[in-house]
Amino acid sequence: MSAVSTAAYAARRAAQKEKVRILYRRALKDTLNWAVHRHLFYPDADALRERFETNKHVEDPDTIDRLIENAEASYNKWRHPDPYVVPWAPGGSKFHRNPTPPAGIEIVYDYGKEDNE
Amino acid sequence: MALRAALLRHVRIPAQTLNPALTLTGGKWGPPSLRWMSSHDDHLTKSEVTERVLSVVKSFPKVDPSTVTSDVHFQKDLGLDSLDNVEIVMALEEEFKLEIPDKEADKIDSTNLAIEYIYNHPMAGSVCALLR
Repeated sequence: MSAVSTAAYAARRAAQKEKVRILYRRALKDTLNWAVHRHLFYPDADALRERFETNKHVEDPDTIDRLIENAEASYNKWRHPDPYVVPWAPGGSKFHRNPTPPAGIEIVYDYGKEDNE
Repeated sequence: MALRAALLRHVRIPAQTLNPALTLTGGKWGPPSLRWMSSHDDHLTKSEVTERVLSVVKSFPKVDPSTVTSDVHFQKDLGLDSLDNVEIVMALEEEFKLEIPDKEADKIDSTNLAIEYIYNHPMAGSVCALLR
């Protein structure tokens, strides 16, 4: 019984850690979206890191769940309306522009007019 | 007029491309991979990917540059924590102009994996991609 509960606890903690990592990643990207200059991004990123570090040593899983929920709510509240997207990615400015032609299509540039006259 | 027509009937200018780099197919390029004015450039070499990944990891403030090799684990070998790991992956994304999905980025935890992932990524950007 205790082994099962320990495993369940470990699994829950692992899921929470993954959630926090992904949340930090998204929040960091969002910080970069809000910063109009690179030098403005660094203090903002440090402040964000500080907010994550304050709750670093919280051990109680229920408290952690609540903290993650709060953090996600505040992330969603301050999410950038027009985030930067890498050009080729979905939503980017070059997405599906100039796609490679489908396989099996061949373009003949050398018309050979002169020789077939 | 008749002379001109007669002359034109006999004169034949062989069609040839002057500068292969300016034509659509391009003389020295192989046909399947590259197209003129397309963003599909030839892929990064493994050594270039390795070099740039290592330079990004080395320039991370909390890392001692002398300990970085192409086979270090960010958290076990370099003494970083998981949030530093996230920051490094984001720096790599910016270096190579990539957009890595969150779940996959979460799994990149060593230089070895990062090099593998970026080398196998079809859109990994080269240094001078902005100049093209």
